[in-house]
Amino acid sequence: MNRMSEQTMPPRGAPPSGSAPPAATAPGEPASERPEGIGAATAARRPWRPGQLELFVAGLFLLLIGQTWITDRLDSRAIQAWSTVFVAIAVQALPFLVLGTVISAAITAFVPPSVFTKVLPRNQALAVPIAGAAGAVLPGCECASVPVAGGLMARGVAPAAALAFLLSAPAINPIVLTATAVAFPGRPEMVVARFAASLATSVVMGWLWIRFGKTEWLRIPRRFTEPGSGSRWEDFRTGMQHDFLHAGGFLVVGATTAATLNVTVPKDIINAVSGHWWFGIVALAFLAVVLAVCSEADAFVAASLSGFSPTAKLAFMVVGPMVDVKLIALQSGTFGKGFAVRFSTATFVVAVATSIAVGWWLL
Amino acid sequence: MKRDVQSVVLVLIGAALLRISLGGEMYLRYVKAGLRPALIAAGAILLLVGLIGVVRDGILRKHEQPAGEEHHRDTHGHEDHAGHEGHEHAGDDEHAASGGSHGHDHSQGPRVAWLLCLPVIALFLIAPPALGSYTAERSDNVVAKPAAKTVDAGFPALPPGDPLDMTIGDYSVRAVWDTADTLNGHNVRLTGFVTPGANGTWYVTRLVISCCAADATVRKVEIHGMAAPPTDAWVQVTGTWLKSDGPPASESTIPALTATKADRIPTPKEPYE
Repeated sequence: MNRMSEQTMPPRGAPPSGSAPPAATAPGEPASERPEGIGAATAARRPWRPGQLELFVAGLFLLLIGQTWITDRLDSRAIQAWSTVFVAIAVQALPFLVLGTVISAAITAFVPPSVFTKVLPRNQALAVPIAGAAGAVLPGCECASVPVAGGLMARGVAPAAALAFLLSAPAINPIVLTATAVAFPGRPEMVVARFAASLATSVVMGWLWIRFGKTEWLRIPRRFTEPGSGSRWEDFRTGMQHDFLHAGGFLVVGATTAATLNVTVPKDIINAVSGHWWFGIVALAFLAVVLAVCSEADAFVAASLSGFSPTAKLAFMVVGPMVDVKLIALQSGTFGKGFAVRFSTATFVVAVATSIAVGWWLL
Repeated sequence: MKRDVQSVVLVLIGAALLRISLGGEMYLRYVKAGLRPALIAAGAILLLVGLIGVVRDGILRKHEQPAGEEHHRDTHGHEDHAGHEGHEHAGDDEHAASGGSHGHDHSQGPRVAWLLCLPVIALFLIAPPALGSYTAERSDNVVAKPAAKTVDAGFPALPPGDPLDMTIGDYSVRAVWDTADTLNGHNVRLTGFVTPGANGTWYVTRLVISCCAADATVRKVEIHGMAAPPTDAWVQVTGTWLKSDGPPASESTIPALTATKADRIPTPKEPYE
């Protein structure tokens, strides 16, 4: 079904013939034929119809023309604050997402699966703590770790080990621990407690997955099981492009959620419960989920939450990098929704329990 | 999302990141200055991958039928961008030969990727301003108590200057926690935006971010003796310390200042303290 002839296509053009009709993949765009195929109709054998790219470019032009009208509509302080927070979360996460997808694509394109089977012990129960501790080497925040864990699984690493890595990496890497030490001056026990509680939670979650996890819950990203293009660099490029667009889309879902909660949830509700130790811990754990603060910054936020017990602040810092609205969106995109819901709930419970135990022991 | 649109989206995101980080100080409205190199690197990578995609998936893929000369450009362009070794050519041959069917397999990208247009649109068309009074009104002022040894040893003497420029953070800590009253007798100048307060007072306000605007916390100083400028206007307030006669110092004490002068200034490049 050749829906547009070669001559009529604009320079950037659409992919080769035979793909799905344009209407199927352009949500929000009118699928009907547009009349603006001006000079094109002369050269075409059949009527010119816009492809996805043409509709996309037309949409961008419409936005450009309507810019003043749109910004006038958005001239409210609440909406401006929302858009600033939304853009800020996206802008701050994008470099780490790029880092994560580059590493993930590099793992799948260049590292043969045998490397991981050699490095990690065959016994999964042993592989989990090793993978958890290996999280210390990935510098960055939680956005980077999801695609990397997906890449590890696609390369044959046991899901339990990859999941332990996924949870520990954003919490125990040197950048985050340094930030924690800076945020809590003169209280090194906070850094130790964070490291211990985060590592323990990730290892426990890995073991729980071995014991109770079901394969059908987890959709392992399998994009490279089909024969690649024959070129590793081309695999790398297409893999990175796919991973980034996928994870980036879900990052936007998470950023909109977090921005909405950030702007609408009054902080008084949280402060009202600060006095009660048990409520305080649960309240800060939930705050970590809805605020979706980057793991490199959450120590500063925790330090600024005056009135809460150190254990509650620890729970905030342990839960935040492992479970938050942005991460749940990213995980559902990468591993499937059923997985994200079960895994995040379990992680939340384990993280809070571990924080209480470690807080009681160290703080 | 089709392959060619995917590439265009990557180019747009890369360009948006580079625009706010390289082409000005706009990124400072959203993140800390330290993230700039990461933003530039990420923007460059996305732009590069997107451009390669535009060339390989968009322009070249279309001209596959006359494979002869176009094919040369394919290999050539690839080398230019990625800069890799000779074995690559074999891969490219195979790739181009199976081009049509292979491209079809991958042509449908993730649909959720359409959402990535949102931040791009927001950055290019709306360019959200730095957070202001809306956020400041809705968060509590916390003046953290400095480490015990600072309080015991006393704050260091203030540098000379009349008026003396201080950050709202420095001023707040001294105003609330300094038992030796080092602020006494100094004419200080604070820079911030206007947040309306109760009973005709107003605050000169600065937000503090530790990573991005989502974690903003507020620092504010109550201004006495001067009518409030319009909300969100940036001002430089000159005045003297107004000692609190209320309850003893706590983290929620709001420092105050008796103003003699308030000058409107343009929004500073670095809106956060």
